[in-house]
Amino acid sequence: MSQVIDDDPRIIEFDVRTDEMLVNMGPQHPSTHGVLRLVLRTDGEVVSEVEPHIGYLHRCAEKIGENISARQFIPYTDRMDYLAGMNMNLGWSLAVEKLMRLQVTEKARHLRVLIAELGRIASHLVGMGAYGLDLGTFSPFLYAFREREKILNLFEEACGARLTYSYITVGGLTADLPPGWLGRCEAFLNEFEPIIREYHALLTTNAIFVKRTGGIGVLSPEMAINYGCSGPVLRGSGVDQDMRRDGEPIYTAMYDGYAFEVAVMKDGTYPRDRAYPAVPADAVLGDCWHRFFVRMLEVVQSMELIRQAIDRYSACTGSLGEPVKIAEKIPAGDVYLETECPKGQMGFYLIGNGTPKPWRVRARSSSFSNLSVLPELCHGCLIADVPAIVGSLDIVMGEIDR
Amino acid sequence: MAEYLIQTMGLPGWLTWSLLAVLSAVLILNLMAGGALVFIWAERKVSARIQDRLGPTRTGGRFGWLQSLADGIKLLAKEDLMPERADKMLFRVAPYVSFCASFAAFIGLPFAFDMVALRLNVGVFYVVAVLGLEVFGVILAGYASASKWSLFGAMREAAQVVSYEVPLGMCIVVPVMLAGTMDLVTIAEKQSGWFTNWYLFHDPFTFVVFWVYTTCAVASVNRAPFDLAEAESELVAGFHTEYSGLRWSFFYMAEYSSMFLVSGLAAILFLGGWNGPVPIASLLGLSEGSGESTGAFVRLLGLANFLGKATLGVLFMMWIRWTLPRLRIDQVMTTCLKYCTPIAAVMFAGAMTWLWVFPGGC
Amino acid sequence: MSSSVASLLPVLAAAEGGLNWQGFLFLLFAVLACSLAVAVVVADNVVRMSFYLVLSLGSTAGLFFLAGAEFVGAMQLMIYVGGTLVLLVFGVMLTAQEPFVAIKTPVRDKLLAGLVGGALLAVLLQAAVSGPAWSGSTAEGGNAVASSSGQPSATPLGMALLGVRVDGDVASGEQSPADGQVRSGYLLPFEIVSVHLLVVLVGAAYLARSKRRKSSGGQGGGASTGGMR
Repeated sequence: MSQVIDDDPRIIEFDVRTDEMLVNMGPQHPSTHGVLRLVLRTDGEVVSEVEPHIGYLHRCAEKIGENISARQFIPYTDRMDYLAGMNMNLGWSLAVEKLMRLQVTEKARHLRVLIAELGRIASHLVGMGAYGLDLGTFSPFLYAFREREKILNLFEEACGARLTYSYITVGGLTADLPPGWLGRCEAFLNEFEPIIREYHALLTTNAIFVKRTGGIGVLSPEMAINYGCSGPVLRGSGVDQDMRRDGEPIYTAMYDGYAFEVAVMKDGTYPRDRAYPAVPADAVLGDCWHRFFVRMLEVVQSMELIRQAIDRYSACTGSLGEPVKIAEKIPAGDVYLETECPKGQMGFYLIGNGTPKPWRVRARSSSFSNLSVLPELCHGCLIADVPAIVGSLDIVMGEIDR
Repeated sequence: MAEYLIQTMGLPGWLTWSLLAVLSAVLILNLMAGGALVFIWAERKVSARIQDRLGPTRTGGRFGWLQSLADGIKLLAKEDLMPERADKMLFRVAPYVSFCASFAAFIGLPFAFDMVALRLNVGVFYVVAVLGLEVFGVILAGYASASKWSLFGAMREAAQVVSYEVPLGMCIVVPVMLAGTMDLVTIAEKQSGWFTNWYLFHDPFTFVVFWVYTTCAVASVNRAPFDLAEAESELVAGFHTEYSGLRWSFFYMAEYSSMFLVSGLAAILFLGGWNGPVPIASLLGLSEGSGESTGAFVRLLGLANFLGKATLGVLFMMWIRWTLPRLRIDQVMTTCLKYCTPIAAVMFAGAMTWLWVFPGGC
Repeated sequence: MSSSVASLLPVLAAAEGGLNWQGFLFLLFAVLACSLAVAVVVADNVVRMSFYLVLSLGSTAGLFFLAGAEFVGAMQLMIYVGGTLVLLVFGVMLTAQEPFVAIKTPVRDKLLAGLVGGALLAVLLQAAVSGPAWSGSTAEGGNAVASSSGQPSATPLGMALLGVRVDGDVASGEQSPADGQVRSGYLLPFEIVSVHLLVVLVGAAYLARSKRRKSSGGQGGGASTGGMR
């Protein structure tokens, strides 16, 4: 090769020779959050190009949905975003209910809010802990899992499962809460609240953490919208959108009467009715730090929603209502509904043809859209920043590959 | 001891010296291996306690004492893999290079008065020089593995060495300057008495220098937040990605013994070596030279002091590791070159001035 | 444990005849250093070369330690072995491309190198053999140095490197101030060696610099991503 170049009269000598390197990050890499494969084109430690390869966890969930009844599909939604099964159940249930024009009882509505927000906390705890892991600190991961375990205990009491719940279902919920559950939930919230400060001390305000995340992977609001990002990734860029407030009536009606403020930076400040840590000087709106911080804020927000839901739920009299039959026919027609899952806007699309089985089932994965900005964010970053950026997007491969 | 063997036992000289050399080597090797076992167990327990877990509880009794030993046996039994495209010879040699460097550095480290395998008049210099060789094994391993992640680890290690060695050297020079010698034994002896005699408390500058040294020492043994060369969330396992079984455990042992070594060096340079915070022995009127048994007692006391301080240093590193996130390679270089080096340089000048203004101490 | 190899020297020196402890170690280190040096020349892989070089230099350091010159020994480890480390990194970094990893030397170059190296070796051998006999002074002098109660000091060496000789030349038995001349010390050779190293570094960079096309500024990929370097 050198011989050819030597003979070429047009060349000049230039700099020290460096080589580009193609590196495979994953699918067995420790910090790609499951079976994601990233092909990095690097020059030394500088990444010039990232290409995500997905599909390692494809389980044909959508096709399966066309061969089983709408209610039977609930367990498959559990396995999409397996870290927030409750929220996925809710998304599908609401979509089917929208098609069937079902209205759940008031009690079921408040219980759904309660459960979905608990699920959001559990999911954000994993996202937060795993993010610490991506940045090389192990302990916050276990602190986060310790609290998540308590939420899972509550879920287990309510529905008997710790990961794949199938609790929220079409037409309501599979069971009412056991006696004493609300008290235990409140006790959990009370002991969890002061612990959030510890997370902020260990991560949010930690100088090394800020250095590692501030100004890294900056996602502009325009780009976030263009790529269809949603959830904390979108709000971390300062776009004020939350399906719980801006979604379709059937979904927002669930949160009717609930007071909450969308965790997004407006006029340079986050909703500051609480003592949050100040935004560090190194952080730029739309960077990894902001995405992380939005998640932390949403944990607090969810806690408040849960407190409100507990009050409303206990004030409700009457029954929870019965879920639909397993072989319930769904009417002809198509419906698309997006709900605010912890990872972002999770959309379900289904076409019914008058039989129990939907004619088509499709899922719009928030993680998929969030992951698609990765090549843009990683352009010119260092190798060490790649896990930091991937972690800040908080993706779940089960949802992307379905 | 040598004289005793030669004169009383009538052993020939060369045999005596060989025996003594082997004895020293075996003692140090055992210290390294045993120390690594203890420290790995301690790391498990410390990290478990920090993380709200229990750690090993069953292997070998209540506290899982034998966990490291069980791990060792597991590692022995593991398949010894080598990548097909690896540079076979270098791949095999690399762990031993790291281990030998760590081992060789122990030769110059005094554990108590007179408890040193080889008393060198340039002890500090020797220890630092030899310890630097450990990096060589890491770089060789990274290159020889024929894995891109390993190569990244090796390159990071090289970049890190270049950055931490400068401030580390500067920090070490300060106590050397105060003691006026590079002999580790003398440096420790000069800090005898109450803990106020320790170089850590000699003047405000040495106090700062100690912390700069701590930072650089953590960087030099590749511990979090400076564990760039392994960085499991970025580089899988960095330079030892392709290693398994016994070869991998050699890297592990080298890491833990280096931790002990830099802690021991810190203890001697800044924390009075084997002199306890309270001079118990001299308060009791004992000294190394006073009789056979009391001398031995004083030495053992010194040994306990030294081991205690060095172990505290190791535990400190564990605490840091399980608390802080990892820095990025450019941030490591910034920390070492843009912060630690100027600070160390200014503190060096300050300590020099202090020595000049208060020649007899203050 | 009061053993110290430094105090071991007189005992061993006293042992008469045969291969004593010191002699054995000397031979070991010397053979290692020489054979590894040959290996450096013979090997055709950059990293292996530097590995052999490190071992060879390490053995040389061992010789220094054996001679009781601990400062020089540690210096050898620190500077040469550490320096080789950097050399290795540069070697890998600069020659990472396929044609450079394995270095095939043409016969012409081998001959030339052999000639130059042989000539240098001849000069050094001649100098070594014709130097004043050391054996004469070891009987007393060696013992005296090794067993002297005062701590050996590196000060004269350091001063000499700065250009001031504070000691007399033991081997030739001269007294330095007596002949009215101030000795120049080792400053000149020291500087020459430094310049030599610089030349080597520049040469390495020259050999390894990349060649790229002159036109089209955009296609020089990676030029803009040099933030880290």
